[in-house]
Amino acid sequence: MEDGVTATQVVFWILAVVMLVSAIGVVTAGNIVYAALFFIAALAGVAGIYLILTVEFLALVQLLVYGSAVVILILFALMLTRARERPQALFGRSRPIGIAASLGLLAALIGGIVATTWTTPATSSAIQPVGLQTIGDAIFTIWIVPFIIVGVLLSIALDGAIMLASPDEDDN
Amino acid sequence: MPPLDHILIVNAVLFAIGVMGVLTRRNAVLILLSVELMLNAVSLNMVAFAVYGHVDFGNITGIVFAFFIIVIAAAEVALALGIVVRTFRNRATANVDEVNLLKW
Repeated sequence: MEDGVTATQVVFWILAVVMLVSAIGVVTAGNIVYAALFFIAALAGVAGIYLILTVEFLALVQLLVYGSAVVILILFALMLTRARERPQALFGRSRPIGIAASLGLLAALIGGIVATTWTTPATSSAIQPVGLQTIGDAIFTIWIVPFIIVGVLLSIALDGAIMLASPDEDDN
Repeated sequence: MPPLDHILIVNAVLFAIGVMGVLTRRNAVLILLSVELMLNAVSLNMVAFAVYGHVDFGNITGIVFAFFIIVIAAAEVALALGIVVRTFRNRATANVDEVNLLKW
């Protein structure tokens, strides 16, 4: 199956196009709520590519954490900080410079990728799927200390977020 | 499976789109969304390297890194949105170019 275009590749390119078009929607949409909705589509595309790469666990975590929790937080923040008085310019004055800089970065990245010889398995059938048990073994044996540290970091960060967003007692 | 360099090129495009959003948007929440796009591109890259290399190299560190990136991103979003809500309460704006209290 290494010759020609396989069904997996077709699905990959469909997902990639959906993901990239949604990402362009995120950075160019004129309405900030539309930008958040495009962001959900882009995240779903990323989860689909995780599925194609045989990492179902990450696809699930992506949909649960990003697709629901983070997006809901962002929608709340958008609604809480909606400026009421005047329609606002959504783009800064340096927009042409930003577009040019990102296109330059894209050219540099693609040039580097094309110029490199990747030592991947010659045939796609040599790629083994990564099972959930393998990931669990890695996280809970080799990476157990970083895992605990990142859990502590997450709870400290969430406490800090609550403290930042809660009103002062002497405000009212 | 698509070839590795196709995945890398798609991720490079996604990363560049995120950079464009960070450099052109004014609203702090939309800048945060663009940063999330860049984070997703990077973790997708790491997963691609891990999946294509774990037979030869015998480890899946890239996948574990992607998992940690998702956790860190959740913490970062919560903190950043707390700061944005706080700034909006004090300065009545969520645009990064109008928050110039510390600008000399």
